[in-house]
Amino acid sequence: MLDRKVKIKEIRDLGAGNHLLVITSPEQARLVRPGQFVMLKCVEDTGGNPLLRRPFTIFNIHRNARSGKPAGLELLVKEAGAGTRRLVMARPGQVLDCLGPQGQGFHLPPDLSSRVATACLVAGGVGIAPLLLLAESLLALRIRPILFYGGATAADLVLRESFERLGIDIIYCTEDASHGERGLVTGPLEQFLRIHPRKDTRLYACGPWGMMRGVHELAVGYELQCEVSLEARMGCGLGACLGCVVASEASEGRSYPLVCQDGPVMNSRLVRWDIAPI
Amino acid sequence: MKPTSTDKAPLRGPRLGVEIAGVRFKNPVLTASGTFGYGLEFAPYLDLNAIGGIVVKGLSMKPIAGNPPPRVYETASGMLNAIGWQNIGAAAFVAEKLPGLANYDTRVIVNIVGFELDEYLEVARFLNDCPGVHALELNISCPNVGKGGFHFNKDPRDTHKITAEVRRASPRLPLWVKLSPNVTDIREFARAAEEAGADALSVINTLVGMAIDVHSRRPRLRFRTGGLSGPAIKPVALRMVWEACQAVRIPVIGIGGIATAEDALEFLIAGARAVQVGTANFYEPAVSERIALGLGEYCRAHRIDDIHEIIGSLRDYE
Repeated sequence: MLDRKVKIKEIRDLGAGNHLLVITSPEQARLVRPGQFVMLKCVEDTGGNPLLRRPFTIFNIHRNARSGKPAGLELLVKEAGAGTRRLVMARPGQVLDCLGPQGQGFHLPPDLSSRVATACLVAGGVGIAPLLLLAESLLALRIRPILFYGGATAADLVLRESFERLGIDIIYCTEDASHGERGLVTGPLEQFLRIHPRKDTRLYACGPWGMMRGVHELAVGYELQCEVSLEARMGCGLGACLGCVVASEASEGRSYPLVCQDGPVMNSRLVRWDIAPI
Repeated sequence: MKPTSTDKAPLRGPRLGVEIAGVRFKNPVLTASGTFGYGLEFAPYLDLNAIGGIVVKGLSMKPIAGNPPPRVYETASGMLNAIGWQNIGAAAFVAEKLPGLANYDTRVIVNIVGFELDEYLEVARFLNDCPGVHALELNISCPNVGKGGFHFNKDPRDTHKITAEVRRASPRLPLWVKLSPNVTDIREFARAAEEAGADALSVINTLVGMAIDVHSRRPRLRFRTGGLSGPAIKPVALRMVWEACQAVRIPVIGIGGIATAEDALEFLIAGARAVQVGTANFYEPAVSERIALGLGEYCRAHRIDDIHEIIGSLRDYE
């Protein structure tokens, strides 16, 4: 809920069009909850192209090397169009308009471990972005996270060392078998759920619409709860333009929930998976 | 509205206040319907007391769910939207939002929508009795619903009819009519609304546009077409505001791609009594406050005591 001018501290090229954008903003970093996002735009870009800010999930809280205190935000930016291209071509020191942290993150009540023992975190490509802070929070709640991380090729499995550092179980999948198992990430997930049919497992997914839909269908099949982190084109990111809606099972004749305010993280059973928002 | 030469208070800074149909606005900077929610969404980001008024999201009597996504898409210096009138309904607005807005010293204008004439009349009647609403803005120019709305801006006779009927349904409130740019000659519609009793005109709504994903070959918006807004439409809007100002005596409120004080000044010079800031609110939530401050700075820099010295002051080449 803060709109601040922030400086780029670092832009790290992660390959395959992916970049880790580090911005300095202690005030915003202190407020972050796993699954939230910020809206970004270069301040010089006024009235032209790109016009609107772009939403980015917060990958990590950047901490001061000495004090360990929150100093800024780490964001995963994949070059996908004019807006993201502009951001990854920016230079350290450049100033951005940064609105956030926005939205509803993952549902992480303090007593979650009384119902959930294992959390299957399912990522497709840059869908990895919200899952690091989630994995850390789950570990703090004494819930065991397992990461299922899929991409087209090994180069798409960015930032995996951040998860390997946590010492959690990770299953990698690539469509070309260049890293981990061959095929889609839902394959090994289903295998895991079949071998471990436990009701205290919960699913968390972020990635392409088809992947999240697949994870949701597994959740329904195995009678598990599933939270998805949704993506939508956004006008404002603060609940005014009503552009970023998702069609909802709960929205019959009422209204479409907003990804920016009611999401981006939502219970997968509230989503109508036959109407993709992008 | 011309100030007299003795009516000066230079120590207090330039006077930015304007009046529209008996309602006083502290400055001519308002926010456009559909771009500022119900107003309160923006309270964390700017001082709502600093702007002249808020035109809230179009309201119908019953809540409307809106169109399925995707609803928005960015284009060159602009954006397309096809929201489809999603709103909480007039009763919920009055119960849940209006009391919060009453805490701010700014004017509240309610944009009203409907699929049929009766629906417009019902919501107009309902709002007529609501304290805290300072004017109605009749939305007959939204391109993003299947029926109604837009229909009344296809023929000046229909514009006349709905304006006259809504005028009778809400006798207490000033009635602004928001016109569509998707017509051959906006002056005909401006005159029709004025003759039917409109107190002011809001010019313009969005231009109908389209964008296609060449990979999937589908329209970028599920509604297929959408309303184009943002800086891309400013020259078109400015021309239409200027034309409307020539055609009618009632005040015209300029809308279309305004993102800076300079943009606002262009519309004022062209004859607009006030302006509404739209799409810019999305990427700069505090932009309307900044524009209001910018108007004051411009007046000081040009030794202008009253904003009325600017309004309609367009000069010709010799």
